[in-house]
Amino acid sequence: MSNWNALWKFGGILLLAYVIVRGFGTPLQPGLVEASPNRLAPGHAVLELTAVGQPFAQEGATPEGFTLVLRSGQDLIATQLTAVGPHGVSAAALIPDQVPSPALDAFLFTPESGTLFLGNAFFIEGAGIGPVPESFATTAPEDTAPQLGFSFPYQPNIIESIRNLLWHVPMWFAMFFVMGIGFVASLGQLRTGDARWDHRAEAAVRTGLVFGLLGLATGSLWARWTWGAWWVSDPQLNGALVTVLLYTGYLILRAAMGDDERVGRLAAVYNVFAFVMLVILLMVLPRYTESLHPGKDGNPGFNSYDLDNSLRAVFYPAVIGWGALCYWMYTLRLRMNRLEHRLLTK
Amino acid sequence: MNTAMMSTLILNVLQGFFFGSGKAHVVTGVALIILAGIAWSLWRMDRRLTTLERDVNDSPS
Repeated sequence: MSNWNALWKFGGILLLAYVIVRGFGTPLQPGLVEASPNRLAPGHAVLELTAVGQPFAQEGATPEGFTLVLRSGQDLIATQLTAVGPHGVSAAALIPDQVPSPALDAFLFTPESGTLFLGNAFFIEGAGIGPVPESFATTAPEDTAPQLGFSFPYQPNIIESIRNLLWHVPMWFAMFFVMGIGFVASLGQLRTGDARWDHRAEAAVRTGLVFGLLGLATGSLWARWTWGAWWVSDPQLNGALVTVLLYTGYLILRAAMGDDERVGRLAAVYNVFAFVMLVILLMVLPRYTESLHPGKDGNPGFNSYDLDNSLRAVFYPAVIGWGALCYWMYTLRLRMNRLEHRLLTK
Repeated sequence: MNTAMMSTLILNVLQGFFFGSGKAHVVTGVALIILAGIAWSLWRMDRRLTTLERDVNDSPS
């Protein structure tokens, strides 16, 4: 193995080791997850809010510097914080008998962790609809910039599973990358009829399938956590499954044809078709239909709202690391194909 | 998020779910061991292929 060869392979492994350590070892920014009681009536109420992630206050902290504000429509309602802990606050509030909207959002202003938000935290029953009376209204304090160390952003529903971004997405990128190599190789095979292109295409599809299956598995795990089901009938998920099945068909086709001389050409035609289908099923169709998946159907992708700098610092190495591992596996399979061919034709 | 997962989250919340419980260290350790295993097996395969390629190149056709 030449120096350069060893360098990129072990560089990729080192990057993945960094991704694992950083990915699992970086704390999550604090975020509100639960409000109690969910339903309120006009009058005096005792509120509790629970948070996850890094502590936003020291044990035994005083409420000084913290502010909890409830929002109904565009109007804000004041509360009086009574206790602040590392992962929760208690407050007393006077709920008005008239609000613009019965659903209340909660905003917790903290001195060090910025503003924590929980949408539809409380629901007021038995209140009339109208502006909040002036005696209940308040103004929000100024937002303070969070003074947190290296930490991952808090996202509702996703919470700790945001770390899966470092596995699931780069695995699909790696699959696209190596299937792209296979597509180019199949075009080369069709143009020249050279068996070396066919070896490349087969190696690429075999490697790409491994990453496709890993992408499906990590995606299914993520779906279980955020959507509550291992699989939902979503165009992106179904498209991913059909793509993997299409490429499995490529291997079945090759195996069925055995040593037939036409296998290379036929497999190349099939592979070109499979890659076009991959682009249509994973990149085109989900954008034109309703989809739960981030980045589809106007559903924001991670890059537009929560791929902050700390996540980028791990995500980009993950893309390079998984890509390097995938390419290493591809080159090994390619060398096996070439050796097999040479031994059979000797 | 379903109720069972929310309960788990709330039950562990004071410990910091992922970190206070020490789960993060175990997961990191297991993942690193798996990665080391994958790297070692690929490296070994790489070496074996290099040897085989050399043998095939050196052998008379």
